[in-house]
Amino acid sequence: MTIENTDTTTVSPERAARIKTVVCEILEIGEDEVTETSLFIEDHEADSLRAIEILASLEKEFGVVIDQAELPRMVNLRGVHQVTAESAGW
Amino acid sequence: MTTAQRLVITAWSAVSPYGIGRKSFVDGVVTGAPTVTELDQERWQGPSGRGCLVPGFEIREVLGAKGTRKMDRVTALVVSTVGQLLADGGIGTGEDTALVLGSTMGSAQSIMDFTKDVLVRELPYLVDPAKMPNSVMNCAAGACAIWHGLKGPNTTLAGGQAAGLMALDYARRLLIHDRAAKVLVGAAEEYSAERAWLDRHSWPAETPDRVLGEGCAVLLVETADRALPASGRAPLAEVLATESRVYLEGDPSKVLVACVRSVLARAGVEADEVWAAVPSSVGDRGRDEREVVRSLFGSEVVDRVPTGDVLGDTGAASAALRIAAVLSVAEHSPEAAGKVALVTSADRYGTVACSLLRLA
Repeated sequence: MTIENTDTTTVSPERAARIKTVVCEILEIGEDEVTETSLFIEDHEADSLRAIEILASLEKEFGVVIDQAELPRMVNLRGVHQVTAESAGW
Repeated sequence: MTTAQRLVITAWSAVSPYGIGRKSFVDGVVTGAPTVTELDQERWQGPSGRGCLVPGFEIREVLGAKGTRKMDRVTALVVSTVGQLLADGGIGTGEDTALVLGSTMGSAQSIMDFTKDVLVRELPYLVDPAKMPNSVMNCAAGACAIWHGLKGPNTTLAGGQAAGLMALDYARRLLIHDRAAKVLVGAAEEYSAERAWLDRHSWPAETPDRVLGEGCAVLLVETADRALPASGRAPLAEVLATESRVYLEGDPSKVLVACVRSVLARAGVEADEVWAAVPSSVGDRGRDEREVVRSLFGSEVVDRVPTGDVLGDTGAASAALRIAAVLSVAEHSPEAAGKVALVTSADRYGTVACSLLRLA
């Protein structure tokens, strides 16, 4: 059975806020500078190490395991919400 | 060597227990003020309560919050020193600018923290990936190049206390083979509780008057025929020669004498032409090194640059800081022009090195 996660409704506002805090701290930007779709690398000067750091920090924050193969999807907050929700089974 | 290209130091800066930047270093060397402080035992849980730290060196305060979140102390020392040097002289960077950095082992703290996380975290891979680069030795040189846009060759040399002199010789080779138009060359050592414990367990018999210090000194070295016409930068000193040797027994004295004679011969300089001779070690070994150099050149020459133990044991940075001290004293000594200065280093892991400069 597969569950399609095409929107962010599976991530509660409280979890979304925690994700945003993690991401913004790593990207060294204010929480008002990032949107659901702004791109970490193109818009926020991230690099591959920052991407790994986001993945590892979310694993720690929510006690989940995220497959590194998901990294290519984690390009913005929306992608991070989807991947994290799937990995956590939310 | 093929054609003899003259290499000159045209700028320098230092971040040391005297403070941040060239001026604080010159003032500190000239006044000889002590730098040992009682360390905050909560923050620095090392074996000794004393150290010679860069005052006020809080990374995010010195370099700003952007890009420093996971930066370690030795990297910050190098980024800060190079930044001071470039800003002082309005010096541009880019493809033609190399960096050669002397080190002992990078950051002992970063290496040990990362390794500890592997062992104590819930799972071995639950480490902080952003701190992984800090655990390799060339992190400081690489991060500094990214920060300041140094796109020429980037080299880290592990040479213990002699690292600064070896780096100077490496810079010479880059320049004479035209691999870079100018080279930022220096050495750095951070203070950390981890380094202090490694030091204590490696050398338990050392006298307690040796305290650990930290700092970084960086020189700008370029060929004489390029420096002035290209930029108007006047030479502060010419780099005459560097020699290094190894010793296998406990006492480096004989090897140090041979090394000094050999560097003089290579540069075609007589011993009585040496105006200042500056040993780099501190503590017991510093006293031995000083006695050897004194026996060769006399007290007046050895005391000309009053470094002594005042900065503490600055590890890999020690010889580079001594070159900065020579340049500091020369700045206040009109009679130094045209004179020769010798900096020696007798690392306790078996390396002896010395460099000769002719002051401008």
